[in-house]
Amino acid sequence: MHPSLEPLGERLASYLADRWDEPVTLLDIQQIPGGASRETYRVGLRTPSGERGVIVRRDPKTSLIDTERSLEYRTYQAVHRAGFPVPEPLVLEEDPSHLQRPFSVMAEVAGCESAVAALAQPPYAAHRQRLGEGLWSLIGRLAAMDVGDLGVATFMPVPEHPAAHELDYWAGVIDSDALHPQPVARAAIRWLRRRLPPPPPRPALVHGDFRAGNILFDQHGDIRAVLDWEMAHVGDPLEDLAWSLDPLWGWPERSLAGGLLPREEAIRVWERASGLIVDREAFRWWQVFASLKGLAIWISSTEDFVNGESKEPILAVAGWLMTDRQNRILVDRLHPDVPGRWAEPLL
Amino acid sequence: MIPRLSEGLADLAGKLASAIAPETSSRYAMANTGMIAMLLSALAVESERAVASRMTDVADLKTLFAGCDRQAHPAGRDARAAFLDCSPASLRLSDVDAVHAEGLRLLIDLHAWAEDHDPALDKRIWDFLLAHTEHHRLDPP
Repeated sequence: MHPSLEPLGERLASYLADRWDEPVTLLDIQQIPGGASRETYRVGLRTPSGERGVIVRRDPKTSLIDTERSLEYRTYQAVHRAGFPVPEPLVLEEDPSHLQRPFSVMAEVAGCESAVAALAQPPYAAHRQRLGEGLWSLIGRLAAMDVGDLGVATFMPVPEHPAAHELDYWAGVIDSDALHPQPVARAAIRWLRRRLPPPPPRPALVHGDFRAGNILFDQHGDIRAVLDWEMAHVGDPLEDLAWSLDPLWGWPERSLAGGLLPREEAIRVWERASGLIVDREAFRWWQVFASLKGLAIWISSTEDFVNGESKEPILAVAGWLMTDRQNRILVDRLHPDVPGRWAEPLL
Repeated sequence: MIPRLSEGLADLAGKLASAIAPETSSRYAMANTGMIAMLLSALAVESERAVASRMTDVADLKTLFAGCDRQAHPAGRDARAAFLDCSPASLRLSDVDAVHAEGLRLLIDLHAWAEDHDPALDKRIWDFLLAHTEHHRLDPP
């Protein structure tokens, strides 16, 4: 346990003792990488029922994604109730007086890996096919869930036209956060505005950042939990599928989506799990949108890094490296001659 | 003074990644040290070429604007003409960036017009954007 984190851990243990009305003792606290939109800590605790691990996600001073913590927490509650694999949500505390900033607490899913880089190493590399099938099955399973049954429409808007709604939102992020002219993003926004797909036959809960980097997996190739629901919303189920297949997530590998499965195979797995057939014309739109949304996030990160209080390296990585790669992907996809240097053609 | 800035930064990045990151005591510190090393590698490349890549863009934009039909995007014609004669106040990166940004702003307006009125110009602008992304690409190890 790093000495600088101990006071935070002790305050948390004291808070949880009050909240749970039982003795809680701090055993360990470690800050963990990932979860770029919140500060994330693994905390070991002793309670009368034994030792347990929890994950604490505390609002940062500034973040990669500007999100609403209660929406994320309620989404965790909704999908957990429905049996979707997520860490069990335990506490949401919006009063900043306890840990200086609002925070949430989840049960730890122990014995798992989350780093994408681990997928290329033993023992995980041998399970990439299985992990890929698991990932796109879960994305499809979420697409098949009924929004009404999940209860998310009680705290999320249900847009009449999800594509227009999402495009307006992310174009607005670029409008407000771009620190210098973005000719590729502007061209993509115009391309998307001219080709809006129709609303989906049935809206779905969209995770918003469903990809290999946001899952917990074990050494047998099983996905134990899906993380980071801060961009969840009701929308078009094709959005999650397109986002998960963006070339950025497998960079620079081009043949395997997310470094796991060939793209067409991923789509077949998704179709089986969702019971839906991909509308290829609409899907082309959502693929371009996914890259534009990614670029918007990186542009926003750049602004956060330059003007915000936080100087987290992940914001700088997003601002320099990710912006560059996403620009290359979009140029590949929208150039009339389709040079295809960095991205496979649109499916 | 270390004369070759980019090599100095790259050497520091290598030291950070290979010797310091493995000595850190937490995954959080190791991950962040690795990211900073990767960024230093990228910035080593960028520091060497920053002025050149922007000035190449500016030269390409001037060629593109000079080759436009007189009827192209009439609202931006005077600004494009003025851009053809402009140059940075100095070779400081902030001054070069200011001219570069002005050229890209004019390009965005011209591109929006070309999409509706001039497919050949639209294609030339995409060719510029392809070259532009190549000038600025960052591929750290």
